[in-house]
Amino acid sequence: MTTSSEVFAPSAAGAAGRRDPSLPFLIGGLVLLAVSIGLLFTGSAADPVRPFLGYLVGLTFWTSILVGMLFLVMIWWMFDSGWSVIIRRQMEFFLVGFVVIAVAFLPLVFLAISGSDVVAWTWIDETREKPGTFGMVAEDTLFLAKAAYLNVPFFTARYILIFAAWIGLAFLLRQWSFRMDETGDHKYVLWSRRLSAVGLFVAALVTTMAAMDWFMTLNYHWFSTMYGIWFFSASMRAALAATVLILFWQAGRKEGLRGLIQPTHFYFMGCLLLAFTVFWAYISFSQYFLIYSANIPEVTFWYNIREKSVDGSLNAWWWVSMALIFLHFLVPFLFLLFHKNKFGKPLIFIAVWILFFHIIDIYWNILPQKLSAEGLLGYTERGFVPHLTDLTAFLAVGALVIWAFLRSASKHRPIPIRDPRISESLNLHE
Amino acid sequence: MKKIHGMLALFDTAPAIYQAANTVREAGYKQWDVFTPFPVHGLDGAMGLKRSRVPLFTLVGGFVGFWTGMFIAWYMGAFDYPLIVGGMPYFSPVFPFPVAYEMTILFAAFGTLGGMFFFNRLPMHHHPVFNYEKFRRLTDDQFAVVIEAGDALFNEEETRRFLEELEPLEVVAVYEDEEAVSA
Repeated sequence: MTTSSEVFAPSAAGAAGRRDPSLPFLIGGLVLLAVSIGLLFTGSAADPVRPFLGYLVGLTFWTSILVGMLFLVMIWWMFDSGWSVIIRRQMEFFLVGFVVIAVAFLPLVFLAISGSDVVAWTWIDETREKPGTFGMVAEDTLFLAKAAYLNVPFFTARYILIFAAWIGLAFLLRQWSFRMDETGDHKYVLWSRRLSAVGLFVAALVTTMAAMDWFMTLNYHWFSTMYGIWFFSASMRAALAATVLILFWQAGRKEGLRGLIQPTHFYFMGCLLLAFTVFWAYISFSQYFLIYSANIPEVTFWYNIREKSVDGSLNAWWWVSMALIFLHFLVPFLFLLFHKNKFGKPLIFIAVWILFFHIIDIYWNILPQKLSAEGLLGYTERGFVPHLTDLTAFLAVGALVIWAFLRSASKHRPIPIRDPRISESLNLHE
Repeated sequence: MKKIHGMLALFDTAPAIYQAANTVREAGYKQWDVFTPFPVHGLDGAMGLKRSRVPLFTLVGGFVGFWTGMFIAWYMGAFDYPLIVGGMPYFSPVFPFPVAYEMTILFAAFGTLGGMFFFNRLPMHHHPVFNYEKFRRLTDDQFAVVIEAGDALFNEEETRRFLEELEPLEVVAVYEDEEAVSA
């Protein structure tokens, strides 16, 4: 390792003394977050938990982007990737957002601890109606078998563990990378690589835990071993698409990456986006395929309510399911196959497209639940109807994450100038 | 009389062949090629090469494979010998999907291989440039650009003069094999 990287001193380094453009995001985000928390208690009598789910959808969208970025940063460290070094720095800026997510998640945890009626995780209150059939949760064999895991103290402990792992990994990887800018000491490369080797396993574990805790146990009867990796694959797509948008924004800024980023960087991001589009489809299909083949009512109901009403007619979720297959997979897949679509405007278009359908995918995973017990008259399932909380929570968490990102990006150099592989990244060639 | 294949200019370094390729392209020649012992970054751009059309074959292969897989499952399970298995319908796009998916990959690979053979005009057991006495150096440490006689701008004298202006090590006419001419 040499210090030849000192040769590269971008004119855009440092950003002292400029007006802070992130302030409106902070104020707007805090106001909207307060509104969203207030809206949590406005659910109808028939469906008191609907705003809670909307809040969860908004929160999950931004969480998934951060989770995907954390994995990508660690994967790039693991593989000692050279081309991605200047992209990694943008993700390091963004990773500070985990703190925002942890704080925005707190109201949900407090509500769960208080056993409030507006919490959508039915298992937190043993006096609630159990899903699907008559009776209380406390009398449910399926709950009693899982009660060692599904209880509020352990749930709270897992919330702390999940965010401690995410924030801890993000904090160390950020600090070491920023410190290398100042000292040029390449020991941080070795530290980061060692941490990533362990961190990938830790992150895989807590991300699976998060997916199970927050989405899968919305109906604790259902279980799927693919679920953690579904969340991972969806997160990777969201993170890549969001990073593409960040890169285009940075490419236009003098204090950002203007003149530093090559078309090949975008091409490689497009290739990864294509790969994870296929991976998401592979995982989502595999989950469906296994449940379809086994054909066990304990698990098939999860897909049934996403296709049909109790009388057998197709419900709105069926159309959402089809949209996910054809618009979330097939269209981006065919689009990204073409070389010219991995640059410029076409890439921006498909990144926005993927992020939009990523929200739909989260919707589709979180919202459909049976609203009433299954009786002689059947059940009703929650429809595909937007709620105000979906929007406010999405905007609130988004504004706060972007605020944190902008602040971080204004404090540090836009590229890791003393990374030993910086010249590989700046002179990238297809 | 031997038939001329083209005019070859020999170079010593990768930057020299890169510059030569730029100049030949700018001079308007269409039928010409560059021989290097290893890939030279950016040479495709200097030569003005367009992207390969092999991916089209891959795409067509993939489509054919997908529908072949689906057709096999439908023909066997729902048409030729309908049989109820595991309470599933005779045909559904769900359960044959892994089959169709594997067939997509297999046929896409066939398409890629076929397209590669087609555009590279393979199999090609011999090439007139092999007749160049220093051809072995082109697989070791030297570089050459060959302007073929079939090019519209090709003129034995003028092309020789044009290539000499590039200051190569030497400019040599490369001839077709005699058997190839008589055949």
